[in-house]
Amino acid sequence: MTGWLTTLWLVAARELRQGMRARSFRVVTVLLVAAVAAAVLIPAALKGHRTVDKVGVVGAAGPAATATVHIASRITGTTVQVVPFGSLAAAEAQLREGNLAAVLVPGRAVLIARTPSAGSPASGSSLSGALALAGGLASGSGAAPGGSLPVRGLSPPLTALSVRLTGLAVSIAIYIIILIYGSRITVGVSEEKSSRVIEVLLAAVRPSQLLYGKVLGLGILALSQALAILVTFVVLGSLVGSSLIHSASLQVVAVGALWIVVGYAFYCTAYAAAGSLVSKPSDAYNASLPVQLPLIVSYIITFTVLYGDTVPGFYWFLAYFPPTAPISMTVLVAVGVAHPWQVALSVLLCLAATVLMAWIASRVYARGILHGGSRLRWRQALRKDG
Amino acid sequence: MDDHEADEQGRTAGHVRRGTATGDGAALQLIELRRRYGDRAALDGLSFAVPAGQVFGFLGPNGAGKTTAMRAIVGVMALDGGEVRWRGAPVDDEARRAFGYMPEERGLYPGMTVSEQLEYLGRLYGMSSAGARESALRWTDRLGVADKRPAKIETLSQGNQQRIQLAAALVHDPDLLVLDEPFAGLDPAGVDEMSAVLAERAAEGATVLFSSHQLDLVQDLCEAVAIIHRGRLVAEGSLDELRGGGEPRLSVRVAGDLEGLWTHDLPAAVRVAGVKAGTVSVVLAPGADTQLVLDVARAAGGVEHFSVDRRRLSDVFREAVSGRLDEAGPTGGGPADSDGGGERP
Repeated sequence: MTGWLTTLWLVAARELRQGMRARSFRVVTVLLVAAVAAAVLIPAALKGHRTVDKVGVVGAAGPAATATVHIASRITGTTVQVVPFGSLAAAEAQLREGNLAAVLVPGRAVLIARTPSAGSPASGSSLSGALALAGGLASGSGAAPGGSLPVRGLSPPLTALSVRLTGLAVSIAIYIIILIYGSRITVGVSEEKSSRVIEVLLAAVRPSQLLYGKVLGLGILALSQALAILVTFVVLGSLVGSSLIHSASLQVVAVGALWIVVGYAFYCTAYAAAGSLVSKPSDAYNASLPVQLPLIVSYIITFTVLYGDTVPGFYWFLAYFPPTAPISMTVLVAVGVAHPWQVALSVLLCLAATVLMAWIASRVYARGILHGGSRLRWRQALRKDG
Repeated sequence: MDDHEADEQGRTAGHVRRGTATGDGAALQLIELRRRYGDRAALDGLSFAVPAGQVFGFLGPNGAGKTTAMRAIVGVMALDGGEVRWRGAPVDDEARRAFGYMPEERGLYPGMTVSEQLEYLGRLYGMSSAGARESALRWTDRLGVADKRPAKIETLSQGNQQRIQLAAALVHDPDLLVLDEPFAGLDPAGVDEMSAVLAERAAEGATVLFSSHQLDLVQDLCEAVAIIHRGRLVAEGSLDELRGGGEPRLSVRVAGDLEGLWTHDLPAAVRVAGVKAGTVSVVLAPGADTQLVLDVARAAGGVEHFSVDRRRLSDVFREAVSGRLDEAGPTGGGPADSDGGGERP
């Protein structure tokens, strides 16, 4: 077994080495990381240019109210300007137009343009949270639990949309990573076959070692790329206090990361089997199309659920159906309808299907890899005698 | 199969047969190998044995089943029946680590450098990293491609790619070398170089089995051969035995008789095979007297040349294969060695 694993790792290490050496891998990794960094940093940088946050104070902006605003300013490290308003309606109008960061109604509430999401920071780091805290202490009214004033938004929370958008981004990441690395496996296998190196390799190693070594090596490569994106997102987001980083979005990202691993495991051997059926790399796409069809379908349907008000019943089936689960279950988490146990069940089903898929794919691979001449059909490979 | 069965099989083939699958001192034994591709039998009960430490030629016309048999030996292809034995035991993965293989359809990773490629294959065959590196250096030196180590395979000439392919088969210093058409595409210098390497390996105790259509080269290099046709063995033995077998042939030249007119006085048991520049080639039927031919020639004039000819390997090959062609029924025949379609045999 040790020898078997050693050989498997030798094959995987070669794939890893060759993959990392490829210019395309380095370029794509840099571009993806740069794109994520830009998505996190640019909004933060633009926010940073707004050097003064205007805070409206309803009623006479007496020393107590002004002091409350300045305490909140010190807590959050922002520069604020107090703008007094005679009426609440006038302050709300300015808030709606985006001219104010927040409105303090002394002793009663803090108003912001949009209701904060359940997962977003309600106090401490945000100006509205700090105003609520300082305002509550100043008034001593106990207007809210913990002594803070309530924070109210003029518009409904944007939470659902932002988390859904995160879900969309994660779904795209799952789709792209499985598709890119799956295609790489198909092309890599067909190249080994067309360059005839396969016969030399199979004289030294078993087909299963070659198959699993290849998908392991490329899998590590795929996950390292995904990890680079994830780390960039979380670290930079935390450093600049990006609004993208809050618990609901992180939950979607974590579930997505899990599904990248499980989804890759499910699809990778099938992609290798597809590569073994063709004799030239140019046929690889056609052979791998049946493999990636469920992934494409689940990706397309994603939009109808993410932008819809309800989740269709059949979508729950897709969330448990292993070929479509990686994207569909992630989407259900993003729209906030999937419970943790449902995610766990779907993952378990997919892992069980992965074992079955690996068994079928290794049979097809072993039969297809030494087949010469015209392309072997899936049905032929599955039916073929010994 | 016991010795009796093996001998019986040898006789039914109707040609010189020795050292069958159970032959004494055999390192490699092919026993009743069978493999079909649909209706076609690529291997039809093929049996023969390869003695240890020999360079052994594996011959046959295109489509005879040589490549299929070689693939079966190295485990690249499964058999429908029969068994391959190495040093008396069935071949398993461990035994195969002592085999080196050069397929007919050459192939290495185009984008890997020569050093990386050889070290990688050495490691796959169970060598340590340092051992594989040392061996890659040694074989690239020996095959005259030391300066190509940092080069990618795809940038090398065909001849150098072929040398690297041989190095890939040799890198783990195998005890058995299975080489499918190793000389195809090589220039004369390359042929000499590769021949020398194979002879060296055999002298060091390795068993070398190779296929080739270059029969003169096989005749020079091998000690023994097996000839197969339509998946069956049609001749096997040492070159001495095979070339010395069959009907005796003589070459005779009588002074001043450029047309070989003296042969008119020969008895019916002696057949004239040809005349070339006064040298007559005659074939003696079983029991015919060599001395009688010399007497007739002397009676006609001064005998300038008289020799007993050994058959060339190409003659043995043609005879063996044509015999099988006559015998072969309509169901015989397998796919070509380098098949154009279907599963590679």
